[in-house]
Amino acid sequence: MSRRIHPSVAGAQPFQLAERDPEAPLFESAEGQERLQAVLSRYPTKRAALLPLLGYANELHGWVSTQDMESIAERLELTPAYVWSVASFYTMYNKHPTGRHFIQVCTNISCHLNGAQRVLERFLEETGTRPGETSEDGRHTVIEAECLGACGFATAVQINDEYHENVTPERVPQILAGLDGNGS
Amino acid sequence: MYRNVKTAELVSLKIDGTEISVPPDTSVIEAAEAVGVLVPRYCYHPGIPTRPAQCRVCLVEIEGQPKLQPSCKMSVQEGMVVHTASEEARSARRSVIELLLVNHPLDCPICDAAGQCMLQDYAFETHQLASRLNEEKLVMGRDRIADDILYFADRCIICTRCVRFMREVAEDDALIVAQRGYRAYIDTFPGRVLDNPFRGNIVDVCPVGALVHEDFLFKARFWDLDQTASVCPGCSTGCNVTIDTKENQIVRLKPRHNSEVNSYWMCDHGRKHLIMSNRGLRPEAPLLRRNGKLVPTGWGDALTWVAERLREVPSGMAIVSPHAANESLFYFRRLLDRIGIAGGTFRVERGEEAILSGFPKLQLRADRAPNASGAELHGFERFDGSARSDPEGDAVAVLEDPLAELPEEWGRQASFFLYVGNRLSSAARNAHAILPVTTFAEMEGTFTNFEGRVQRFHQALQPAGLARPAWLVLARLVSLLEDDGDGGAAAPTLASEAFQVMVGDTPAMAGLEWASVGLKGARLGSTEAAVLQAQAPVEGA
Repeated sequence: MSRRIHPSVAGAQPFQLAERDPEAPLFESAEGQERLQAVLSRYPTKRAALLPLLGYANELHGWVSTQDMESIAERLELTPAYVWSVASFYTMYNKHPTGRHFIQVCTNISCHLNGAQRVLERFLEETGTRPGETSEDGRHTVIEAECLGACGFATAVQINDEYHENVTPERVPQILAGLDGNGS
Repeated sequence: MYRNVKTAELVSLKIDGTEISVPPDTSVIEAAEAVGVLVPRYCYHPGIPTRPAQCRVCLVEIEGQPKLQPSCKMSVQEGMVVHTASEEARSARRSVIELLLVNHPLDCPICDAAGQCMLQDYAFETHQLASRLNEEKLVMGRDRIADDILYFADRCIICTRCVRFMREVAEDDALIVAQRGYRAYIDTFPGRVLDNPFRGNIVDVCPVGALVHEDFLFKARFWDLDQTASVCPGCSTGCNVTIDTKENQIVRLKPRHNSEVNSYWMCDHGRKHLIMSNRGLRPEAPLLRRNGKLVPTGWGDALTWVAERLREVPSGMAIVSPHAANESLFYFRRLLDRIGIAGGTFRVERGEEAILSGFPKLQLRADRAPNASGAELHGFERFDGSARSDPEGDAVAVLEDPLAELPEEWGRQASFFLYVGNRLSSAARNAHAILPVTTFAEMEGTFTNFEGRVQRFHQALQPAGLARPAWLVLARLVSLLEDDGDGGAAAPTLASEAFQVMVGDTPAMAGLEWASVGLKGARLGSTEAAVLQAQAPVEGA
């Protein structure tokens, strides 16, 4: 499946998107190796490659597991504890498994004024989950997000790495139905 | 306290009205200590290299500086005028303490650190009478950091001393700050615990009650503890320690600073194993074998009887313990010389070594006894065999070795078996005379560590029953044996006297003084007299 990468990012970070596969090995694959080398080549020290590799694990698996942190620590010659301290500092690395579709509903000021709370509630209702919980079929995880930077198009919702703008509660079922069609 | 002085030039500054000159790379907080001003500190610890200046409690006013400065990070400068307790500095400190107390549970009545807590101390100092907090406190719970260490997250003030000790001193980056901001806490990698042999020090550096040793948890109130300066008997390093006792029981050991031996640290083996000395069967009165049975006797009768028997000893073997004090070993040697037993051996328990990377002089050494060097100094040899041979028809004299690994019938056939010790093992019960002596914790004396450093320890416990220091018992025996009707030479009654007799009679110890060995110890051959003696043969050349 082709992934649309914003041109401003594509040139600078050509390897920044991995196909989601929770079961895939992190580094014991051609893609993983390529990714590791590409990241390492960009920094003067191995430690500096920590954030991009945590990001890679997060993209590939949907979350950063303890095994992921251990194998990153091994590759970067850091202690697993150090990797854990960094991973836990940043809230955007998921520390628990997420559904195939990771739905982040912006509830910051602009979206809030435009009914984000009702959008969030509708997503939770439709997926039958509570915030942060993964639905039983493993498809959806819905969380509240801080500003997604799309205040001109409130309410903004990010599903995996795609933005849905001007979302209203009424559009929620249609968005959810569309997800399984193209896997986005 | 000061790092190496490379230049003779000193920097002069004024702290709270007192002039002082210190080396240029001294920090303001250290200079203040030198004039007797203890600036509050949490993240700063003299034994941990980095100074993150993150706790903000050591802020001081420096004239000419637009803002308050962290005194731990700020180096002294010529002509600096520092006010550690100006209204501005105190107000900043009060705010820091108030913010730390926002989520602190104030569970002081059940906190292990109560009484030695720097949060209590500074809250007391800044006399905050009432909390302005209306909100509920954040509750975070507790966690296991190591098999023997618990972490009370609510009490933690995130000074990161423990994290930096592990990272910079133990060089084992296994303890970290997880999460951030108000949710930050100290953690290990999920599913793992600290297994570093020096991990116990994180409890010592914790300024509050966040990190606690589980074996001390709810055991004693700090103010009920008696603290005694001593030396750790766990290995041949001889870390300087404080023995904390309560009701004549050892509750814990804490490291005592000595830059020549252990800095601010000690290992976990040292912390643990001495607690076990609270247990075990101790002889509490002199026991003499009469008609095949051990009968308790008073000291006077016992010593006279033993002295009489020793006069008849033709030959024999001697066993000593590397746990015995220098003074005891010295007088045991004198006794052996007197009765004509040459040599003598000691067995040292051996164990795995460990090194504290950030202060490599501090090692858990393979010799798990404090005074193997002292035993060697007094002419005893290491015994490396697996089991000692039975003395059979010979005489045998034992000093403090528990004989625990020997068979039950060991020594039963000996012509005379003298046991001067503090444990009643089955082999020891075969003795003709058991003279109960104190453990090192129940007496004053000295040990000689692996590099020939003579260190004093003080009496932390009351002796068990009638037990007396071995040197006292042995010196008395020697003087009884020397008695040819004139009462014999006077035996020392104080550890300091025994020490000086030993020094006078042991060339390797020449020049040592009881007083100058003091609390920090002295190296053999480092004293003026010893240096002069070493130079003496050159005169003829």
